[in-house]
Amino acid sequence: MNLSILNAMTLTERFRAAFITQDRWKLYLTGLGNTLLISLLAVIIGVVLGYIIAIVRFTNKTTGKLKFLNAIFKIYVTVIRGTPVVLQLFIMYFIILASMKSGIIVGAITFGLNSAAYVAEIARSGFESIDDGQMEAGRSLGLSGAQTMIRIILPQALRNTLPPLFNEFISLVKETAVVGYVGILDLGKVPGLVQSRTFDYLFPLLIASAMYLVVVMVLTLILHKLEKYLSKSDRVSHERIRDAGRANNE
Amino acid sequence: MNNPLISTVNLKKSFGTLNVLNGITLDVMPGEKVVIIGPSGSGKSTYLRCLNFLEIPTEGDVYFEGNLMSPKSNLNEYRKNVGMVFQHFNLFPHLTVMQNITLAPITMRKKDKTKPKVSSKQIKAEEEEKAMALLTRIGLADKAKAYPSTLSGGQKQRIAIVRSLAMNPKVMLFDEPTSALDPEMVGEVLSLMKEVADAGMTMIVVTHEMRFAKEVATRVLFMDDGVIRADGTPDQIFNHPEDDRLKEFLSKVL
Repeated sequence: MNLSILNAMTLTERFRAAFITQDRWKLYLTGLGNTLLISLLAVIIGVVLGYIIAIVRFTNKTTGKLKFLNAIFKIYVTVIRGTPVVLQLFIMYFIILASMKSGIIVGAITFGLNSAAYVAEIARSGFESIDDGQMEAGRSLGLSGAQTMIRIILPQALRNTLPPLFNEFISLVKETAVVGYVGILDLGKVPGLVQSRTFDYLFPLLIASAMYLVVVMVLTLILHKLEKYLSKSDRVSHERIRDAGRANNE
Repeated sequence: MNNPLISTVNLKKSFGTLNVLNGITLDVMPGEKVVIIGPSGSGKSTYLRCLNFLEIPTEGDVYFEGNLMSPKSNLNEYRKNVGMVFQHFNLFPHLTVMQNITLAPITMRKKDKTKPKVSSKQIKAEEEEKAMALLTRIGLADKAKAYPSTLSGGQKQRIAIVRSLAMNPKVMLFDEPTSALDPEMVGEVLSLMKEVADAGMTMIVVTHEMRFAKEVATRVLFMDDGVIRADGTPDQIFNHPEDDRLKEFLSKVL
């Protein structure tokens, strides 16, 4: 019955039904806004917690301190990386954060906690990219381990890991599409909502996919610009070293 | 009589089964300029690094102004008194020259609650003024706002020396300060070190610059296989060497 109606509609009419009628485009925009909001909050939580995990691991590795915290974080990372994020979402939404009213916040916390386990790995590589001499110089000046970490190691590690962290944000934009499973209105949830009114999946799915694609492409473009900028400022400094050396020879 | 500023008693350090230091006993008096020479791998750098506990000695004691130091002592307080200059400068690339110099003194003074209360702003202003005076003295005042990556190796090392001086240390350790420099930049660093020496600083210098040892050192140590094989004035070490290993070493480097 429904199919016969669809067959009678032109593609233009089906597109209008999916996007224009009853201002349905607003639904897509709301979904997109929520997707970006969840991803942004998640990446912020992920970076902060991920870096804390990495700092604890780094401290434990270099000084042997913080054994207990290190063990807890090890288990945390293993569990997070070893279970599907959809189940983590269910556990958060239905059990741990069941009393929380805002689904968006639940989604952001779930993906933030998930992301932290992966950011910890990125941050670890960031710390390993910093020469040991930086810590030694800080300590030899009388700064404490924590002061050296905050003032000297961390700023450099953050800069070195900006591209992979931004990449993590891009991944989150796509991965968060599963929050629709618990009724959160993100962009991934919109096609189903529209289909329930129009009985037509074709255009809602195409439109939502296209929106994801455009957002990811734009973010990727920004990422490339960022990478180029960072490597250029490195290269410039190398050239300056050479030039300064030359000036000194004269 | 003066008491030694820094001394070690039977200091040993091993990495796994490799014994790098095999018992170093040494008293360094205030104002002495001790230059340590010796072949690569003889333990010179490791000894310096044990003095400020960047390496933890396996055995033996380090005394500073008569007090026994250990990893459990307040090392941050101790290290303020013991400046260190590294082979690879180790300037902080994300900070300007000015920030490189003032970071530690400003951070320490803000944390120090024993002194009468001075506002953060005033501490910053005072330390920057002090740093500027030091930079002016070495002719790099115009580089205050520059980042290390824009400096030559010689400039970097001179900034590193100034950074260390800004803490008003009582002794300065130099770990092969000119080894990573292009030959034409060695002179400017050595002359700054000479200036620091002339100003009365107690110095312990690991270097391959024999001319610097002859000109500036009040005392030269020859280290080999983790022990001090010769200890004397530059004249005794360079002109009247007695130890066979020292003679062999000098014949190669002079």
